[in-house]
Amino acid sequence: MQRIACPERDDWRATADGAGFDFHTIDGERYWDERAYYAFTLDEIERAIEEPTGEIEAMCLELVGRAIDDENCLRRLKIPEAFWPLISESWHRDEASLYGRLDFSFGGRGHAKLLEYNADTPTSIFEAAVFQWTWLEQSIERNLIPKRSDQFNSIHERLIEAWKKVGNGRHLHLAGATENAEDAGTLAYLEDTARQAGLATTLIDIGDIGLRDDGSFVDLDSRGIELAFKLYPWEWMFQDAFGAQLKNAPTRWIEPPWKALLSNKGMLALLWEMFPHHPNLLPAYFEDDPNAAALGASFVRKPIYSREGANVALVSAGVTVVEQSGPYGAEGFIRQALAPLPEFSGQYPVIGSWLVDHTPCGLSIREDENPITGNTSRFLPHAIV
Amino acid sequence: MTDDNRTKRSRRVVLTMMGSAAVGAVSMGFVPREGCPPGSEPALDPRGGLYCRAFYGGFGGYGYGAHGHGHGHGFGG
Repeated sequence: MQRIACPERDDWRATADGAGFDFHTIDGERYWDERAYYAFTLDEIERAIEEPTGEIEAMCLELVGRAIDDENCLRRLKIPEAFWPLISESWHRDEASLYGRLDFSFGGRGHAKLLEYNADTPTSIFEAAVFQWTWLEQSIERNLIPKRSDQFNSIHERLIEAWKKVGNGRHLHLAGATENAEDAGTLAYLEDTARQAGLATTLIDIGDIGLRDDGSFVDLDSRGIELAFKLYPWEWMFQDAFGAQLKNAPTRWIEPPWKALLSNKGMLALLWEMFPHHPNLLPAYFEDDPNAAALGASFVRKPIYSREGANVALVSAGVTVVEQSGPYGAEGFIRQALAPLPEFSGQYPVIGSWLVDHTPCGLSIREDENPITGNTSRFLPHAIV
Repeated sequence: MTDDNRTKRSRRVVLTMMGSAAVGAVSMGFVPREGCPPGSEPALDPRGGLYCRAFYGGFGGYGYGAHGHGHGHGFGG
C-alpha cells in the first residue's frame, strides 16, 4: 500500500458537476481529492481487505442471530424495548440488507483492524462506485497512472443486481434529508441504480412522510409507502414522533430494523466477546464492563451511538489527546483498543470496505490530518497496480 | 476472487438519471383530489387547489438537518 502523488485531471470539477456530484467541495474545502491516490497490490486487496470483510460480515450476521432475541444483549446495546419486536420480526422475516461499509485501519502490513461498521446509513457510495471509477479510466487514458491499473470496485453493478432482489416489483420510495447536498446526491445515485434495476421510484424528504389513521405511511400524494430506502438512522427513527407507529405500518425499510444492532458501536464489544482474539478485531468492551480495565490507560472511547466521529476520544496513558465534539454519549460508551491509523505523508487514511447484498465489492479511502476521521475528511481514489 | 471481480476493467458504469435532465418522481404533494381517504384531510395548496393531507412531520425531528451518517469513520483506533 502506497500513497502516490499524481496530477489532477484538469477538468475533474466539470466532470463531477456533469455527473451530478455537486458535493465534491464542501464549505470551500476539497472533499474529493485526486492530487494523490492509494495504490494496492491485488494480494493486499484480496487477502487483507476482501476476505476479512466477507468473514466479518458473516460474524456480524451470526452476532445478530444470537443477540436479536437476547434481552441482555439488547439492553447492553441500549435499544429501546418498545422496538425489540420490530427489530426481531424484521430479522425473522429475513428482510434484506442492501449495503454497508466496514471501516478498517490498515497500512499495508499485518491484519486490517475493524474500527466500526457503518451498517445503517453509509454515505460516500456515489464517489466510491462511480466517480473514483471515472477517475481510474480517465487517468489511465491520460497517462496519469500506470496503464495496467485496476480498482476493487463492482459496487455499481452489484447495487443494480441487489435492487432486483430487494425490490421484487415493488414501488420504491427513497427518503432522507433532501436539503443536504451530500444526502441528496446519495439518494439520487441509489435511485438511479434502482431504476436501472427496473423499479419505479419516488424521492421524498424524510419530513414529508405522512401517517394515515390506518397506521400506514404515505407520501405527499397519499400514495402508500410499501418499500422505503431511508438515509436516516434507525435510532433517530425510534425517537421521532412517528417512531411508535413503525411496528404497525406495513412499510418495509432498507436498511431493515435489525441493522440497528450492527450500526451500534456496542456491536464491537459483542463481536469481541463472541470472537475473542480474531485477527481483524480490536479488543473492545462496554465501558461499564470490568474487563475494560484490560485495555489499560490507552484506548479509544466511542459513544454507543455516534456518527462522523462525533464524541470519539483518543486516550493515551490516561490523557485525552484528541476528542471530537458532538451531541452523543447519553446512552453510554465503549472502549476499543488503540490501533493508530497508518500515516502517509502526514495523512491518516481509513479504509472503507463496501458490501452490497453481503458481498465485499469495493473500497474507498478517506484521509485526514487528524487521526480521528470526521466529516471534513477527504475522499481519495485508489488503484490496484 | 471470482472472474468477474478480476475483470473489473470491463465495467460499464452508466448513470441514467443522475446528472441529467431526467428525474424520477418526486413526492411533492399538492395533487388535486376529489375526495380524501380516511386518515387524511383536504387542504389547500399555495395555488388554491385541493389536495389530501395526511399527518406529516413525524419523521425527521431528531437530528434533522444535522449532517451525520456513516460517512465519517469513527476513529483511528
